[in-house]
Amino acid sequence: MPARTGGRGLLRYLPVVPAVLLLVVFLAGPVLWAFHASFTNAGLTGRNARSPEWIGLENYLRLLVDPVFPLSLGLTVLFVLGSAVLGQNLLGLALAVLMRRARRAVSAVVGTTVVAAWVLPEIVAAFAAYAYFSRDGTLNQLLGGLGLDQPDWLYSWPMAAVVLANIWRGTAFSMLVYRAALNDMPTEVAEAAQMDGAVGWQRLAFITLPMIRGSVATNLMLITLQTLAVFTLIWVMTAGGPANASTTLPVLAYQEAFKFGDIGYGTAVASVLILLGGVFGAVYIRLLREAKR
Amino acid sequence: MTAPAKASRAAPPGATSGRTRARYRSSTPADGSLLLLGACFLLPLLWLVLASLDTGAGHETRVPAQASLENFAAITTPGLLLKPLWNSLVLSSGTAAVTLVAAVLAAYPLSRYRSRFNTPFMYAVLFGTCLPITAIMVPVYGLFVQLELLDSMPATILFMATTALPMAIWMTRNFMDAVPVSLEEAAWVDGASRMTALRTIVLPLMRQGLGVVFIFVFIQAWGNFFVPFVLLLSEANQPAAVSIFSFFGQHGAVAYGQLAAFSILYSLPVLALYVIVARGAGSSFALSGAVRG
Amino acid sequence: MRRPALKTMSLIASALIVLTACTPAAPEDRPKTLKVVYQKTDSFTALETMFQAAKQEFEAANPGVLVELQPIQGNDDDYGTKLALALRSPSTAPDVFYEDTFKVRSDVDAGYLLKLDSHLEGWGDWDKFDDGAKAAGRADDGGTYAVPLGTDTRAIWYHRKVLEAAGISVPWEPRSWQDILDTARKIKANDPSVVPFSMYAGKGTGEGTVMQGFYELLYGTGSTLYDEENKKWVVGSAGFKDSLAFLKTLYDEGLAVTPAQALDANVWKKVFGEWFPNGKLGATVEGSYAPSFWQDGGSYEWPGYEQEMGVAPFPTQDGRAPGAVSMSGGWTLAIGAGTKEPDLAFSFLSTAMSRENSLAFTLDSSQIAVRSDVADDSGYQAANPFVKDVSELVSVTRYRPATSDYPRISAAVQEATEAVITGARSPEQAAGDYDAAVTDIVGGDNTVRK
Repeated sequence: MPARTGGRGLLRYLPVVPAVLLLVVFLAGPVLWAFHASFTNAGLTGRNARSPEWIGLENYLRLLVDPVFPLSLGLTVLFVLGSAVLGQNLLGLALAVLMRRARRAVSAVVGTTVVAAWVLPEIVAAFAAYAYFSRDGTLNQLLGGLGLDQPDWLYSWPMAAVVLANIWRGTAFSMLVYRAALNDMPTEVAEAAQMDGAVGWQRLAFITLPMIRGSVATNLMLITLQTLAVFTLIWVMTAGGPANASTTLPVLAYQEAFKFGDIGYGTAVASVLILLGGVFGAVYIRLLREAKR
Repeated sequence: MTAPAKASRAAPPGATSGRTRARYRSSTPADGSLLLLGACFLLPLLWLVLASLDTGAGHETRVPAQASLENFAAITTPGLLLKPLWNSLVLSSGTAAVTLVAAVLAAYPLSRYRSRFNTPFMYAVLFGTCLPITAIMVPVYGLFVQLELLDSMPATILFMATTALPMAIWMTRNFMDAVPVSLEEAAWVDGASRMTALRTIVLPLMRQGLGVVFIFVFIQAWGNFFVPFVLLLSEANQPAAVSIFSFFGQHGAVAYGQLAAFSILYSLPVLALYVIVARGAGSSFALSGAVRG
Repeated sequence: MRRPALKTMSLIASALIVLTACTPAAPEDRPKTLKVVYQKTDSFTALETMFQAAKQEFEAANPGVLVELQPIQGNDDDYGTKLALALRSPSTAPDVFYEDTFKVRSDVDAGYLLKLDSHLEGWGDWDKFDDGAKAAGRADDGGTYAVPLGTDTRAIWYHRKVLEAAGISVPWEPRSWQDILDTARKIKANDPSVVPFSMYAGKGTGEGTVMQGFYELLYGTGSTLYDEENKKWVVGSAGFKDSLAFLKTLYDEGLAVTPAQALDANVWKKVFGEWFPNGKLGATVEGSYAPSFWQDGGSYEWPGYEQEMGVAPFPTQDGRAPGAVSMSGGWTLAIGAGTKEPDLAFSFLSTAMSRENSLAFTLDSSQIAVRSDVADDSGYQAANPFVKDVSELVSVTRYRPATSDYPRISAAVQEATEAVITGARSPEQAAGDYDAAVTDIVGGDNTVRK
């Protein structure tokens, strides 16, 4: 870090103030407000809109007995594991590895396609995925062509549909991370392994992966956090349905707070989500600090 | 090595990867599997393009009987397309501008002075990037009600800028670290203040990096649906992401072709910007290193 | 980044910050503005027409006053959410707005609505409104907070040709739930490609699920949602389970649309725009406003619908008195409690609801008139052949419980229907979930087991 000691005390940190101000007002503020509001019965309409009351842990106790909350928590875990940790992560790695072995033109074309799904505005990606998985959509056209069953994905398999859609949308990130990590790897290592007669998957498992484990960890953390927050994709594709079968925590928080007007309960759900994010964030930062040492 | 830290490596990876690739043989199996995967990623996008040219489009992917631009003509009206796109432009460039100014100011002391304060601050900022933004939307709505900022474009810009700020500070500081401090020292000798030196010496040297940050924040803001959906209520303020959603809710069941055309016109600007960054800054990874949900 | 560019950006940024700081305080010398919020969709433009006319009229009569029309595009559910979000903040709360009758009480409790009594005293037209409709705008304190625009009833709408093809004589007059099932099964046996008898269910159709579906069932079992006398919510009733079980039969036997179609928020557009006109639907429960979609200038114009469609009262479970069930809702205009110009706002409201405007709106949207001078108009009576039938249902019609907890209870009912038609829960389980949800919302003391 090209830094200089000296200057005039705290005053030289004055330029940091606008950023800190923004972060405190618009990021830290809402988080604190969330924890506060989750202990009240604030509502969007009715008595509780005018004068919310402090109700202590009631919202959190309700989370424990509400049958939708455990379901929603489970679906969120499933969504994160399925679409991020397994889907995006493994597919991204596979793409990155294949791209090093494929012709340059092929890897450029495929890379562009994968990235395009990721750069598209989220709402557009959601529409495209909605059309793709709908009853008479492209996926069923393909399955029909192969003479297979054509279920109504968004209705019968809503979680599978949103998981696959999120893999489609987000894999580019992992692919880019792994491509960069592989490019940073000294080629001598791979060559040495090749001379030892190691075949493809052995090289990957015993040489490549251990060398890029830092990137793997970073990537896993970041895509987990991104996936935890996905709302638009699910909202457009299934709106959390049918019968809450794809209601992840962000969808649940929105529904409770804005659709059912129960701001207090909605923020309690949101607080759980914030805490989850906080835990993952803390682990991530720990990993980074260890990597630096 | 951390993902955000990599953002500073704007050097084209093509230089290294070219060398690497030469040592591997191009393999046909790799080409084949890559193309197959690429096709999976392409299919949902294909629907978008074909449906936009098809006046009788449904959910299925098909080559239009007669390709026409009627769908595009039908939606190109001031109320439906142009005003929302203009709102998106104001929202996104405003967000990117505020973010960039605040990030540059904050990054300067963090990059140029050595202090015990820096590391904890940077980790706190990084922790901010981990917050699931969808989770804090309910409390942010509450905050905006309290401050009477609901449906205010400037306030929404400030909020969106804040959510982009943590990553922008990371990226900007890394870009700034890459500018040698010795160049500034010459200016101080001539009596220039630190802020003058920042403006006249440092910023011009890191303009490419700043461009990356600006465009990166712009793309994120342009695609953001949930934040304006909750914070901007009147039709006159709504950006394209939200107006396309109400279009979908109203006409989506019938006018798929128009929905697809609308989606394409709305996506083109960010696709173009992405190409500029990927080409111009030489590294798509500069972007990926900093992206989050 | 070149320097001028950076300068521009700092300028933009500082301008924004200054702007934000100024936003709440509007300068005094600007013309007075009235903000009007209402719903507009591609199939519901009657209100837009009415407000456009009122705006012209009002601005001409009140120079220096600007009426700012802010339509919200979205279905009833989305409109409700957006309006509630806007009402909560004084800076975005509208002066005059379109309000569903069932939200009036909870919004009064929230302090969002202005009490109109003093204004209504001076408004001659108010005497022309019928008393039942007036009640919809009244709150617990006896004050009136909203002016009704119109009301509606609900009935079975059926396609004559589809029924006739299955050998059912028209006019069709089902006497019990069993009659409905028998007829529906006949239609299905005759032509499996048509949907015999559909009822809305699930969260997708929102209030439509309960108003055009579940309540017709529930109130025909002798049970009720809310015990008006004791002011307690009913839980554990056999009627609730029977009603869910009836829905389950309809959906399980394929007599209704598929559950996937039912959960689509836009399914009603297919009912009006596709299935009925194409003879693909035998019958469904819908509002008295149905002809507004099919008449000239409607969103799904259907010349000759008068001959093809028929209307019948929805029967009670086993034919018990009074033999038929209907539900009434309706919308109102209200004034925001925080309005800076209450007199102007009321003046605009009365302009919008003048006799001519009311008549045009009533015809446009096939409402049941709530003012005597509109009901007596010959144009109203001749608007479509069904006006008489659906108006007569007023004698058996029921209203939703007018309490501030109602919107959340309704959500719980919708949830129960969705769980049943998707097979996620049995009718008994779903009824149990509903009971738990109600107890949770209103507290155990406010429920009664019947």
